[in-house]
Amino acid sequence: MKVFKRSVIYYEQRTLIWQLRTDWGMPLKIRVFADLHIHGRYSRATSQQMSLREIARYAKIKGLNLVGTGDFTHPKWLEEIRESVMAEQDSGVYKVAGSPELPVHFMLTTEVCTIFDAANEAKKVHHVILTPSFDVAVQINEALGKYGDLTADGRPMLNMTAAHLVEEVMQTSKDNIVFPAHAWTPWFSVFGAFSGFDSIEECYGDMTKHIHALETGLSSDPPMNWRLSKLDRFALVSNSDSHSFWPWRIGREANVFELEEVSYSAVVDAICSKDPARFLFTVETDPAYGKYHWTGHRNCNVSLSPQEAQKLGNVCPVCRRKLTKGVEQRVEELADRPASFKPSNAPGFTRLLPLSEIIATVLDSGSPSTQAVWKIYNALIGRFGDEYTVLISASKEAVSEIVDVQIAEAIVKVRTGSVSVVPGYDGVYGKLVLEALASGGKLRRGSVQQKNLADFW
Amino acid sequence: MFKLKVADAKLLRDMATAISILVDEATFKIDPEGLKLRAMDPSRVAMIDFEWPKTIFEEYVCAEPTRMCINISELLKLLKRASKDEAVELALDEKTARLEIKITGKYTRNFTMPTLEASEEEVPTPKITFNVKAKTTTQGLSQAIEDAQLVSDHVRVEADAEKLVLNAAGDLMGAMITLQKGSDALLDLEVKENSKATFSLSYLSEIIKAASATSDIATLEFSSDMPIRIDFQQTKEGKLTFFLAPRIETE
Repeated sequence: MKVFKRSVIYYEQRTLIWQLRTDWGMPLKIRVFADLHIHGRYSRATSQQMSLREIARYAKIKGLNLVGTGDFTHPKWLEEIRESVMAEQDSGVYKVAGSPELPVHFMLTTEVCTIFDAANEAKKVHHVILTPSFDVAVQINEALGKYGDLTADGRPMLNMTAAHLVEEVMQTSKDNIVFPAHAWTPWFSVFGAFSGFDSIEECYGDMTKHIHALETGLSSDPPMNWRLSKLDRFALVSNSDSHSFWPWRIGREANVFELEEVSYSAVVDAICSKDPARFLFTVETDPAYGKYHWTGHRNCNVSLSPQEAQKLGNVCPVCRRKLTKGVEQRVEELADRPASFKPSNAPGFTRLLPLSEIIATVLDSGSPSTQAVWKIYNALIGRFGDEYTVLISASKEAVSEIVDVQIAEAIVKVRTGSVSVVPGYDGVYGKLVLEALASGGKLRRGSVQQKNLADFW
Repeated sequence: MFKLKVADAKLLRDMATAISILVDEATFKIDPEGLKLRAMDPSRVAMIDFEWPKTIFEEYVCAEPTRMCINISELLKLLKRASKDEAVELALDEKTARLEIKITGKYTRNFTMPTLEASEEEVPTPKITFNVKAKTTTQGLSQAIEDAQLVSDHVRVEADAEKLVLNAAGDLMGAMITLQKGSDALLDLEVKENSKATFSLSYLSEIIKAASATSDIATLEFSSDMPIRIDFQQTKEGKLTFFLAPRIETE
């Protein structure tokens, strides 16, 4: 292996791992791209092809080297995981058995939904759980099986409070961690407009002491979360919550660490400590790309900014029912800081969009899964090794040597933030537009915009 | 003290229905001359402006001006129990802040319901110069709106000197409904300037459906991309007018 001077980054194309080394014998650092929240084949609306081998194959293409198994609470999926992986010397992470060449590690993870009453309201909150071993995973399943049918869904519904969940999980092992999943989505999240809370403490009660992180979800990003001073102590993690292995889903959001080893404890410690030397940054999609960024109604084709929605009393101007409140509006309600606030010493973030989406937008193909998109995608992966490399560091000149210059320009535009995204709303993904607005504002969908009578006073 | 009596329950029921399509809690301004209501729906897209003079009632007593807020849907449930020719009396018990509803027909029914905290908000009407004034039958207008609803959730209302046109375009289908000046449906048309504006069909259809029970003739006034004013001529005295904000087509 070549030895480089300090700060010179060596990219090992075949293994897809970024490594730093110094002349002075400092420990080897491994750059870890981690997507810790995906789903297995036993979750609803998940591809039946989701085997660990397939996940690992596409994770490699994406540039991920650590992926959550998802759904360890499902007995069949847990058995499938156990049969498919081999342990790496008590590291708490696993590789696909029989494929040591695949540079992808797995960590045992799951997502559960707790359903409970608080303040006379039904609360539904999703949580991600990370655990270091199969033995502990089995103990967690034994504990949680008392509160719901773990075989019913890869993401089981549990009739217990969020605090009780954390208590049960932490009783099995202090090395487990629990954090709220996609913290802002309208349904099923800790801050959700429909069944959530106004603070982490209200949700987790005296078990908040065990909560060290929260998942920002696709529709919010770190700057939106930095606006709430009460979130300062939590690490902001980003994961895809993917239900398929396609590269426009898996790893669309991720966490980037620089660690001395790929191990459960190294990753969890980097998250809990929020140490920017180890937890370097998160990969974020533009929050407008998320399905719940703006307020609206999918069936009514109504998409509204927070200001417009408030002006309309959060009532749909088409069907006149309550609107699905978007994440931007919900953040606005709870924020106690201006939009530009940036805390000191927080891990950074980079904004990317899936390469397939960028190619599909340039080709105007309407879908990232067409043959035309795959052809270009595969050419780029063949040349640069993985998608993150294409998105983060490949030069425009190098990309345009093998694909149309328009695609090279679009990749650089996304990297530099010189694009716009028409905001997603009520379950509709945002739409990439390869032009930035001069005003820096947000584009809106071509539609009919409802005025209100106060506009004419 | 406030008390009123109508000989025909239908009068009250139809008016309560028209109000209920926009507001749940209605604050009436009551004075010795009659009662008034001006309110907007929660989204502020539509407004109702309603007045009933005391002469419309069999009996009307109001000692001094007051405001009374009631849940209009709850009142409507009670009024629906009354048959067409039954008499209804409303009386406000100021001590208990409850409204007493007495329905008299073959037998007598007495209901009570709570009043709510009255809104002090004075709602202004939009300041608009209208370029089009079209007098239609409510039946003709109602059918035209039903036609447009088959293809879209919004409709562009256009007028020139000869005709009023309702143009609806959906994702797949389109509809154009033309009401010629002097036809059975379009009784009169005055146009200072050709105009067009787009409106939500959900609002329009509910307003017209509810108000047509109280009126045979509707007068539409609008200008390009401005709110529309729809006045439903009452068979007795009184005023029932709606304003509806436009939708603006964007690319």
